[in-house]
Amino acid sequence: MQTIEVIVDALSRQGSKNIALTLVSADGGPLPSWQAGAHVDLHLAGGLVRQYSLAGDPQQRDSYLLCVKREAASRGGSRFVHEQLRLGQRLTLSVPRNIFSLQPAEHSVLMAGGIGITPLLAMAEQLDASGQSFELHYYVKTQADVAFRTRLHQGFRHGSCTLWSGCEGHSPRRDLPPVLHQPEGKRLYLCGPAAFMAHGEAEAINRGWSADRIHSEAFSAVAIPASAESAEGFTVTLSSSGNSYFVPPEKSIAVVLLEHQVAVPLSCEMGICGACLTPVLSGEVDHRDTVQSQAEKSCSDQQIALCCSRSRTPELVIAL
Amino acid sequence: MKAKITPPPHCTFEPDDWERLARHWHPVARAVDISNAPMKAVLLDEQLVIYRVKGQVVVARDVCPHRGVPLTLGFHDEAGIICPYHGLRFGEDGRCNRVPSSPDQAIPAKLNLLTYPTEERFGLIWTCLAPEEGATPMLPQMPHWEEPDFQQIVCPHFDIAGFAGRQVEGFLDVAHFAWIHTETFADPENQEVPPYIPVETPYGFSVDYWSSVSNYSAESDKQAPEGFQWLRHFEMHLPFTATLTIHFPDAEKLVIMNAASPVSARKTRLFAPIARNFDLHIPVEDVHAFNHRVFEEDRLMVETQRPERLPLDLTLEAHIPADRSSIAYRRGLKKQGFGEFFLV
Repeated sequence: MQTIEVIVDALSRQGSKNIALTLVSADGGPLPSWQAGAHVDLHLAGGLVRQYSLAGDPQQRDSYLLCVKREAASRGGSRFVHEQLRLGQRLTLSVPRNIFSLQPAEHSVLMAGGIGITPLLAMAEQLDASGQSFELHYYVKTQADVAFRTRLHQGFRHGSCTLWSGCEGHSPRRDLPPVLHQPEGKRLYLCGPAAFMAHGEAEAINRGWSADRIHSEAFSAVAIPASAESAEGFTVTLSSSGNSYFVPPEKSIAVVLLEHQVAVPLSCEMGICGACLTPVLSGEVDHRDTVQSQAEKSCSDQQIALCCSRSRTPELVIAL
Repeated sequence: MKAKITPPPHCTFEPDDWERLARHWHPVARAVDISNAPMKAVLLDEQLVIYRVKGQVVVARDVCPHRGVPLTLGFHDEAGIICPYHGLRFGEDGRCNRVPSSPDQAIPAKLNLLTYPTEERFGLIWTCLAPEEGATPMLPQMPHWEEPDFQQIVCPHFDIAGFAGRQVEGFLDVAHFAWIHTETFADPENQEVPPYIPVETPYGFSVDYWSSVSNYSAESDKQAPEGFQWLRHFEMHLPFTATLTIHFPDAEKLVIMNAASPVSARKTRLFAPIARNFDLHIPVEDVHAFNHRVFEEDRLMVETQRPERLPLDLTLEAHIPADRSSIAYRRGLKKQGFGEFFLV
């Protein structure tokens, strides 16, 4: 994979939880061209590699604009950007890759959930520059979360922008863009949390959209081996025997249980298959698997992937 | 007359799983192959007779209500199909309309065939053996099929000595191209599977899979532009029908429906309607032949997998990141309540 050296030229707050990075080429030349929807791999300290969408105007070749949300359950990437990244710092990027590109349509509907605004803002810029009709719908929890507010306020010549704030009663569960009722000739682009995209897609399909005119992008969460990223250990208790075991930061629950001769139904060992999903009787799970849907992770009868997930509470009681 | 809903004798499925499968629509024939003559099909171990009469398609149990002879041994005239044993004739809706030995008697309803609901879509005849009381099952959908600039092609059926679930999982699998399909379209050097995420939908799940694996056939001199990313959009309609929309360069699209009809737990009849908006000058026989070669490439894998059925218990096999679709598929089946139909 070809890489480019860049320098952090500007950092700015974009709402209460996001930081925008303006990156310029280290050799002062123009950056590789790209199309809306593209993303780059950002190489961070300690071998971390994270994918971020490019948010700016694709016609601008002198800088790249990225926007990073501070994730509560950061696996290192967003924490590094928010706590350690400095102006003037050198970074390595992959050249932009696009797996979420605009397709021809009479009218494009862009639906962003939270930090999902980044690739969709680039799409809005590109559509506007080429004089194509579009509308952007940006869903946030509160007004304080809005990123790129200044740019959005300037408006677009060929498209509209609507802000929906959950705190003011306009969540995607209650308010969907009215245009979803008229699928003819349109395409829908979704970016945001997995549950947001699944909901948007399902509702669009219910309203007669064909699935091939709905485009969404989710960066796959890379399954993480239990590493020293969670600062503290916790105790896991088996309901069958009442035995408790301490799970230190550097070991997974599964490893600890296997060390104590407790049989764990392991298969993939990276949170993608669900073989080791075990019901949770008490405690709050820090879900790190990518096999359960958002709905499953937030329902009342929780299951935990023993190979990778952890606990937010000092003790977790599981049905083993 | 409504068919009685019980698994057939010598059924290869567990009764619960059979009832669950029998609630769904399954294809049983190509529409073009069904004429006024009685035609045999087997679905979920149930022997069926399919025929047309005055334009209407009838799907019924292949048993004469009189003395149990298969009607597919018989023949037909303008008014229906005729049992070879005593000449009873069955017409629209499977109703008996002639008893030659007593032509002047009224015909009791008991002599009507046991018929099943029928749909003609995507060039296929679909049926549903045991619709749930008050719940009409959803017929799977196929993108672009009805659109004016798309050509409709229906490949001849393809029989596989394996379980439908294994075949469908193979259709969803994106990691086997470089190993199995190198003679038809894939590049043996292009083995890596970029990350992708299945998204749950009301009918199952959908997947957008982006990769550099070309879909031009090995014989074609066409080349995608440098760096072109191929989108393969899958829609899985549980339990056994999936569609794949392949986005070629220049807005060319090819949609293939993989409708795996479960003949039994050990046999599958694959139907493959195709819609495309390019290469319209190429004879459909060439499309049939190309797809036949692709299915043939898969055959050995699907027919030799053990256990023969699909382990819904994910601990029974190993899984790698490229398997996200197959994991989503098995979880989806499990959520629908399918149980023991995976252990041999």
